[in-house]
Amino acid sequence: MVTIRDLHFAYRRKPVFSGLSLDLAAGHIYGLLGRNGTGKSTLLRSIAGFLFPQKGAIGVLGHEPGKRRPAFLQEVFLVPEDIYLPAVPVDQWVRYHAPFYPKFNREQFLRIALDFDIRVSGRLDEMSYGQQKKALISFALATNTAVLLLDEPTNGLDIVSKSQFRRVIAGALDENKCIVISTHQVKDLENLIDRVTVIDEGRILFDQTMDAISRKLYFKISYDPGETASAFYSEGSLKGNALVMANPGDEDSRPDLEMLYKAVVLHAEKVNRAFAE
Amino acid sequence: MNQTFDFRRWWMLVTLHWVENRKRYGLGLLAIAGLLIAWFSFLLTVDKFSALDLGYQFSAYFVGLYFIGCLLSGTIFSELGDKRQGIGYLSLPASHLEKLLCALLFSIVFFFIAFTLVFYLVDIPFVHAANNLVGERYRTSADMSSVPYTTPVYNILTASGAPMLEQDGHLLLTSYFAFQSVYMLGSVYFTRSAFIKTTVAVLLFMLIYVSFVSEGVGRQLPPGWFIKDLFQWQRGSSLVGQGQWVKLPLVIECALKILVSYGIPVLFWVIAFFRLREKEV
Repeated sequence: MVTIRDLHFAYRRKPVFSGLSLDLAAGHIYGLLGRNGTGKSTLLRSIAGFLFPQKGAIGVLGHEPGKRRPAFLQEVFLVPEDIYLPAVPVDQWVRYHAPFYPKFNREQFLRIALDFDIRVSGRLDEMSYGQQKKALISFALATNTAVLLLDEPTNGLDIVSKSQFRRVIAGALDENKCIVISTHQVKDLENLIDRVTVIDEGRILFDQTMDAISRKLYFKISYDPGETASAFYSEGSLKGNALVMANPGDEDSRPDLEMLYKAVVLHAEKVNRAFAE
Repeated sequence: MNQTFDFRRWWMLVTLHWVENRKRYGLGLLAIAGLLIAWFSFLLTVDKFSALDLGYQFSAYFVGLYFIGCLLSGTIFSELGDKRQGIGYLSLPASHLEKLLCALLFSIVFFFIAFTLVFYLVDIPFVHAANNLVGERYRTSADMSSVPYTTPVYNILTASGAPMLEQDGHLLLTSYFAFQSVYMLGSVYFTRSAFIKTTVAVLLFMLIYVSFVSEGVGRQLPPGWFIKDLFQWQRGSSLVGQGQWVKLPLVIECALKILVSYGIPVLFWVIAFFRLREKEV
């Protein structure tokens, strides 16, 4: 669905990507993790056709994103980190934007808006930033585009809205859609994504499915100094040391995305070796 | 569906643009009317015997048209200067050509019609009021030796009473579209303060052009010769039979006038289209 090959991109003299390659398939929710300024937003904007590769190629559903042809734009929706919505009522905004998206479903929009507690008769400019963001996410999901890119979607959402967000996104996925969520707040994506991609300094540091992570890594709390020493990453807590370890015995554990992220950022080579074995 | 231009999609874009901007446009037109009313009222109070003559009307029309028209064109793609708005604008499923034509429709066609309508809505009653006022003053004046001067309404189609530049082929009116196209390109090209930067660029270009003509071309002329206008060089007196002229052939003169009037706008619209296509946010 999305194919990125040997992507090179730089802002003036600051290189962001130098040879990044990545494949994204339909039927998955990808979590794109990384520190601020590592290129997550740049990657999403490149996939959406707002930035052009200086070298390499991006293909989305057979389209070259940079050409921004209407047929491509009808199939890709980007919810940026900072959003702007016009000063009009929600229903009017939907009425005049929806016809551009052939697969837009009004009932679906109203259902999601209801889930998000959005008042459809209200004006966009009278809403809080979080409500505006929820309105845009509701619209984005209702467009039913094949590729949905969400850049830091939980920024500006309160705790209740974040769980609403997880519920809504989980319910929106089908086998024809590819959803990419970029965030540095990894906790927000727990139980939502089925593939984790970590970007650092413009390269893919880690790219695995949640299934593979559950099989190859073991997450546990331990007081055992031997286990702590052999762990890829450990972190002290009141309950003991939280560990990310290799999982040679195929033991079941619940992946902790935040721990995984820290393990990958600090010891990417060791963690990736566990997946290669 | 055609990926370059589809009328239904373009019309949806036009409707969307209108819905999102109608309040701004409406207030803008009211502000124009307010400024014209204030200016004409001021003229009525200071010039008691030739208020609102053709010169005043002509200059009010063209100063307003040039300044506000260029300001509108210089901000028609202002979304692209802001990342948040730029993403929303560029991600809308319409082609670059449709987006450009929508901008042209509002900033060139609709603005010209709306401005001209507002001008006449203010101008016609004010000219009548001025004529009545002048007539009244004449009747009450002690000096009855002169005939009261009544002013006609300025006609942009005939350009009667306008400077020769305008009377001779509407060069000022058509140049307006050339200027507007430059400002439209500026609004796509510059990320911030597009209007100011375009104005600086236009002034710089004019300075270079004037320097080139006076210092470059002027110095190449034989002694005693000078440049009369864009198409004529002259030696000696301008009285008939007393000087010498060299004129460009009429074909070249006409071709240059057509280029300025119609070629430059089209050229800059085409450049704006390509610039829009390669715009990154």
